[in-house]
Formats: sequence, structure tokens, C-alpha cells
Amino acid sequence: MDGIREHRRATAWLQQARTAETRGSPPGITPPASRAVLAALGDPDSHDREAPSLYRFVVGVDQLARPLDAQELAELGDPMAELFFRRGIFPLTVQDLLAGLPEPATKANQSVYLIGEAGQIPLGSAPELPRAMRFAVARAATGRDVDLLVSTGANEDPATTFLQVAAWDPAAKVFNYYMRISPVWVWAGNSWSALAPGSRGHGCFDSHINGSVVMKELKAPWNNWQSQAATIRLAPDDPFRSDPLYQQVIGAENLELTVRALISRWTAARLAAVTQDGTVEHPEQLMRHLFTSTAVNLASTATQSSTITPSSGDLLLPPGFWLNSDALLSDLELPVTAALPPMVPAAHYVESLGTFDFALEEKSSGFSQPGDTFFAFVVPEPACEDNEMVRQMVKQGLITGKFAACAFMVDFTNPVFSSVREQLMAHVPTTPTAVTELQDHIARAIVDAAANLPPGSPEGRFAADWVLADDTWPKAFAQRIDDYLGHVGRRIQESAGFDDYVRLAESRRRDFKAMRLNEFELTLPTTNIPADAPRLGMIDDGTVAPTP
Amino acid sequence: MSLLASYSPPGHLDDLDETGLKAWNMFISDRVDNSITGPDPHEVLNDSPRSQFYNLTKTDTAADAREATVTWTAFPRLIVIQSLSDAQRWRRADASRDVQDEYCEWSVTRNAAGKITKVMFTCEGPEYWHLLGQSDPAKVLELYRTHIDPNVQHSDLFGATGTYNPRNRWNDSTTDGAMHLIQPNNTLGAEIELAAAATVVRVIDGHELTTEQELIHCSKYGEPERNSDPHIGGAVNDLARQKADVSLADPVGLYFDKLATDGWAAPDGSDPKDYWIRQRGDATHPVRFIYEVPQDKGFTVGDIEINGKPIQFGAQIADFITIKLTGVACRFGQSTTQPKNACVQVAPAPVEPAAVAQNLSAASVPGYRAAPLATSWTRRR
Repeated sequence: MDGIREHRRATAWLQQARTAETRGSPPGITPPASRAVLAALGDPDSHDREAPSLYRFVVGVDQLARPLDAQELAELGDPMAELFFRRGIFPLTVQDLLAGLPEPATKANQSVYLIGEAGQIPLGSAPELPRAMRFAVARAATGRDVDLLVSTGANEDPATTFLQVAAWDPAAKVFNYYMRISPVWVWAGNSWSALAPGSRGHGCFDSHINGSVVMKELKAPWNNWQSQAATIRLAPDDPFRSDPLYQQVIGAENLELTVRALISRWTAARLAAVTQDGTVEHPEQLMRHLFTSTAVNLASTATQSSTITPSSGDLLLPPGFWLNSDALLSDLELPVTAALPPMVPAAHYVESLGTFDFALEEKSSGFSQPGDTFFAFVVPEPACEDNEMVRQMVKQGLITGKFAACAFMVDFTNPVFSSVREQLMAHVPTTPTAVTELQDHIARAIVDAAANLPPGSPEGRFAADWVLADDTWPKAFAQRIDDYLGHVGRRIQESAGFDDYVRLAESRRRDFKAMRLNEFELTLPTTNIPADAPRLGMIDDGTVAPTP
Repeated sequence: MSLLASYSPPGHLDDLDETGLKAWNMFISDRVDNSITGPDPHEVLNDSPRSQFYNLTKTDTAADAREATVTWTAFPRLIVIQSLSDAQRWRRADASRDVQDEYCEWSVTRNAAGKITKVMFTCEGPEYWHLLGQSDPAKVLELYRTHIDPNVQHSDLFGATGTYNPRNRWNDSTTDGAMHLIQPNNTLGAEIELAAAATVVRVIDGHELTTEQELIHCSKYGEPERNSDPHIGGAVNDLARQKADVSLADPVGLYFDKLATDGWAAPDGSDPKDYWIRQRGDATHPVRFIYEVPQDKGFTVGDIEINGKPIQFGAQIADFITIKLTGVACRFGQSTTQPKNACVQVAPAPVEPAAVAQNLSAASVPGYRAAPLATSWTRRR
């Protein structure tokens, strides 16, 4: 039971620490704090109740968890440090934390959200399935903008469940990441830790990949979240209904707005910091947002899968499955004429559920249920945090819209996990480069390389687009996208064509499952597609083929 | 235990005289009663009566009463799911009031340079204005001149026979003003009917329906592709499943819930929320806002940025607006109304000529008038 609960936590922080222990490389904490921190890191036998403190433990960097010294504590400028830790206050529960903030909670300064990967599974069909849920609380603690994001177990003992906080430091312009495991609070790093070689991808930065806050299911219908699109199921007499925080829950559509703003805030701060002296120390850290998928979001149709019958209307599939519509169409404003995302006849979708044995499975609890996720056709799509960095780089003049578009168009039919586009990272300098020379440096390197490579190579494709005149490339790219969507629109009308897209979706889902961002078994469906099936990619003509 | 003396006007507006107030109470009360009765069971199967819906002026609200506020995004969902990009959906939503179907409509004012200077938002149902047009035409003209344009003339609003035209030249576009809702489904009557129909608990083949989409497909009480209708229905049905009696709180209406300004930035660092100005309705039941920057600020709405992008469409603001309605439920656990075991169905077509003719008349009643891009059909009264 404990294992199941742990598996559905907000992030993998605890698992990281435990994994480190089991691999024989424990955090190396020394007494007397060690017992408490070991408890924080998952030692169920410890009942240490010593004085609470703020410790530092950045996974991948620190070998020892140790108390922050006064200087380090003074340098933390976020609301948690200012309102709690520097005053010797270490709230045990989310309720204590919220009650300790200076202003009373109002609808204007505090929003409460609810998420649960098992939240939409019918109560009657799986009465034994653990329904672990999590609260996310967004709070403007010190001003008019949100500066605290709290994540904690919802229907568990608040004193023992996990409690994690991302707190914005307006002076340092970073998020500080904290976790509480009774009675110890741990500073797990800040946004820059996500980018630093030692801690990148470790600890909380396995999900806060680029240093920002995360909402995987960012867009409508916000799969797994309670929202205007779906309500997490509770029995009419569930005592959780009387929980004061539950009674404040509002729809995740509001959290989307907050998270987008927070991603934009950190991206702007980061970009300003790394370009302030006119030189970018690590160009590859910026350009990987353009050429690779550092993260993804999960998108889906807006339709509840179990309500779809063969006679239902056509199903609109998420635009981000077909191309990076957010970057190419919303940000770069390519003048496509296509009016609608591709639509699949419902009969094809329903048939595919049987053909591929779609199911929801949670091995840790033994739960299994035939069919797709609650909202149909969940797929990874380009991450808001990648696109936001590209958009801001264009706005700040680091790169031009044309450069960004040329990079995306190299493999625009594969908006995520494109090994083709990723090859262009080889031409990105890894040494300090002047801001004013960065784009030209990369473009020149790609074009030079293309001279000795086939036209179909990533470099060849980029070079062919790069020579287009400024007044022609937007229309040329838009035409290519329109042609592609036309091909897709025709192929998807055929059952075999849609089945190919199901295989492609599953291929991308498996790429997502390989990421640490994948935390919960119930996030995605399983299929009967063999585990060793080749990775697939989309071709410009709307066909699907194994990737090289 | 208490009875409501009479239904108040939306937002506790003070436009109506005593006669108007009585008429408004009668209108809402009648609509509630009609919605409790539901459709003729010979014409529509499994949809009546709605015994768990009640009239606040005729049935006590018990001491265990709880209010439940339901909120949803003002930007039309149909446009979201049928668009490929933000610019495309914003342009579409700004193009016609007929696609603004989330009980919120807006009109955009631009300066000579094309920058937005003001956006009017309204969630006032048309029924109130029909009544006001009958009871006090001068007041209607005064309100239009105050809120839309000083040049509005009586003849712009009223026909030769004195009948108020809700889709008049000052209230039928996204550029010349928005006084009240005109999208065919944005009515208080629709709201009441939806809430009443959603109190019907349904158990189909032993499976109790609980999700928003299951319920709206089975009960057919609104447009499945809106933000609002499935969500309202789901929330109301959740109360009904707790064996409570349900109604809409007084004053019955659609209201602005809030404008979020996450990621907004004004050029001078001022709070972008300062320019969200309530014009009608009380503080907890606002029905009209404008978004406008005072002239002395030296910048306009179009200079304000949202996550680094300037406001170029009224629809960008609508993304951040939520609309609400408030239900009230009481007598939890006491309802003895039995769930229905089938979905709503239109009765088989009659075969006798007279009945056919009668049925044709019934069919001519406007149903859900969908946005131009919409594809689905929904029964609406």
C-alpha cells in the first residue's frame, strides 16, 4: 500500500533518494540530523522528532544533507524562506503553511486544484483501487502575482504525506524548490540547478527539467485534473467532500494560466541572465529547446473515450500530434489555410481500441481496465517550456523567426522526439559565443556541413530553406504544412491509415515513458504493440515509417 | 426553513420599477415551474418531471442548504477545439457574436492605428432587456447611451410598433457595442432549463452516469461541446446524486466570476486588473465589465502584454475571464426521487395527419443555434 501511494506522488524526489540508497550511494547524512533526514528520504523506521530545520540536499551535487548556514538562508529570498524558515517556522502540513501566510486566503490570492491519475476510473468498477489524489495550491503570498506553488497529498494524513513547494525568489529571479518530510524541510535546489550538469535531471529536476514549474497536462481537457471538463469522482458520502481544501478546489483551466505565466517568468529571467554581458556561455543549453524535446506536455482529444461509439461524430485529434502548431502557427504565425485539425471517423477510433488491446494498467496495484485513457488519444506534444524559450529568443533577437522556422521545418511532421532535428545540435557551439553571432554561427555551420551531405539530410533540408527570401519562406512553409495536413486528412479517413497513426502515437508515448517525467502508470494506456516494435516517424506525405 | 419572497433581477440591478420587478419575479418563477414540469412526456421520453428541482418562492430552502458555484472559461470551447492556432481561434471568436456561446459576449473598440482601446463584456441575459424594453423604453435608451454610445437613437432600438429589437445595430456585432447577450443559446431560460434537466439522476444498465459528457449525451440538456453546459449539468447532477433538492440561487443569472491576469504586464508596471471595470450588477453579481485604460495613462489596452504578447484581440482577454452561476441545494440525503433508467428520447413520430401537423409546429421552435463551425445537434427550449 505504501508503495502504491509513493508511486503516485507529485514528483520523483523521494524515489530518487531511495534509489540512490539502494544503489549503495546513500546521501551520506551524518548524525544527529541524519536520522531525521533519512526519515525524510524514506526510512520508515525512524521516529526522530528532533528540532526541525532547513537542510540542503541537491541530488546529484550534494553527498551530504546538511543544515543551511545563516548566510545561505539569508540568500534565499522567496516567501518560504522569508515568512517561515528565517523565522524558525517549519510548517508540518499544507494547512499550517497556508495559515502561516500573512494575508488571509481569498479567491483572489489563492487557488486550489486537484489531480488524481485514478480520479476518473468508475468507483464501482474498481472499489479496491487506491484513489490517491494531490492538491496543487497556487498562492500570491507577497504580491499580486503567484509566488508559491504547493503540491501535497490530498486524501491522506497531511502530517505524513509529501509536501513540496516551488517558491519564486523575486530578487534572484529563480524558483527555489523545497520538500518537507516530517519534521525536516529540505532545500532541493533552485531553477539554475536544473541546468547545472551535476543536478540536471536528478531529484526534483527530473520533472522540473528546465527549472520551471510543471503541469504536464497543460491544455484542455487537462486529463487527470479536476476541471471544467471533468470532475474527479467521489462517492456521494465520501468524507473527503467536507475537507476545507477540497471545498476550495477550482478548475485546472485556471492553473493552466498560472503555469504558463510562471514558465514565461522564469524563461525571461533565465534568458536575461545568460545574455546580460553579450555572451552566451553555454549556447547548447538554449538551442536544445529549439532542436530537441527537453520536455513534453500531454495533449488529447476533448472527448471522453468511453462515450465514443462508431456512430459518434468525427474526432478532432490534438493539433500538437501533427506538428508544432504552437510554435509554427501561434508564435511564428505561418499563414496556413487549413481550417481544422485532422479528424478521424469515430468508427476507426473505436475499432483501434480492440485492434491494439488498449487498456489502463497499474501493475503495482494489479488494476487493469480495457480501453483508452479518460479523454481519448493522449499523446506527447511539444513542451510549453521549449516553445516559450524559442519564442522569447526570437523576441529578444537572439535568433530570427526564420531561423526558428527553418529548424522546426527540418522535421516538422515529428514535433517531438525528432532524432532528425536533434542532429543539428552538432552544429551548436558549446563554448562562449557572442549573442550577436550565435545564429549566424550555427546557420553557417549547418550550411557548410550541408555542402558535403545529401539534400535529404537534416543539414541539407535546413540549408535549402535557409536560402529562401524573407518574403517567401512563410508562405512556402505554410504551403508545405497545408499539403501535409491535406495528406493526413485523406489518410485518416481509411482505417489502415488511422491505425498507422495509432502506432505512431504509441511510439511517441513509449518515448515519453522512457523519460523521468513519466511518473504514473495510469497516465497513458497500454497496447499490444510489441515492446520491441521499431520507433516510428511521420513523413511529409502523411505516411508513417520506422525512423532510421 | 424559508421561502424567498420574490426573485430579484439579475445582479440586483435597479432599472425596473415596481411593476417591472413583479413581472421579473413572475417570469423567473414561471420558467422554473415549467422546467420542473419538463417536456410533455408524450413528446419527450424520460425527461420529466424534474422532482429534485424546486422553486425558491414556493418551496422552503432547508437549513442544511449549501451553495455551489460553477465556473467556466468565457472563451468558446467550440472555437478552441476547431482551431489550429491561437491567432486563428482569437480571430474567429472576435469575428461574430454568434460564436461567443459561453454566456459571455464582447465587442472590441480600436483606435485609428488599429490598437484596442476598449473591450465591452456582457453576460446579461436577453430576457431582462425584453422586459425592460416593454416596461421602460426610455430607460433602455438611457442605458444604451450610457454604456454603448451617446448617439444611440430610440429608432435604433425599437421597431415601428415599439417592440425592442435585441439585435439592433448597437448590439449585434463585435465592433459597435455589446449591451446584452444575443447568441441564441445565451439565455436565462436556457440556464434554468439546463439546471432543471440536470437534476435527473440516470442509471443506465446498472451504471450510474456521473461524468459531464455521459450525462449531457444521455440527458440532452445542452451543447456537449461548450465549456458551460456539460460542466453546469455535471455539477448540478452531482448535487442531485447526493439526494438533495436543487435550485438556482437568487438572483438567477449568469455572472462574471473573475478576470485572472497571470502573466499580464502593463507598460508602466501598473496592475492590469485596475482596468477591469465593473459597470453593471453588484459586486458579487457583476453582469457587465469593460476593459479600458484611462486616457491619462498614455497607453492603451493594445499595449498591455500577456506572457509577452500584446493584446490584439478581445478574445485574448476572454481566455482569462470566467463566468459563473450559483446553485443551491438542500435536504441532502432526503430525496426519494428514483433515478431514470433510460436516456432522453424524442417520442416516435405520430402517424395521424393532425398529429403530424402539430409535430411540425413543435419542430419549428428554434433549437440550439450553433456557431458556424459547430457540427452537433442539441435540443434546447
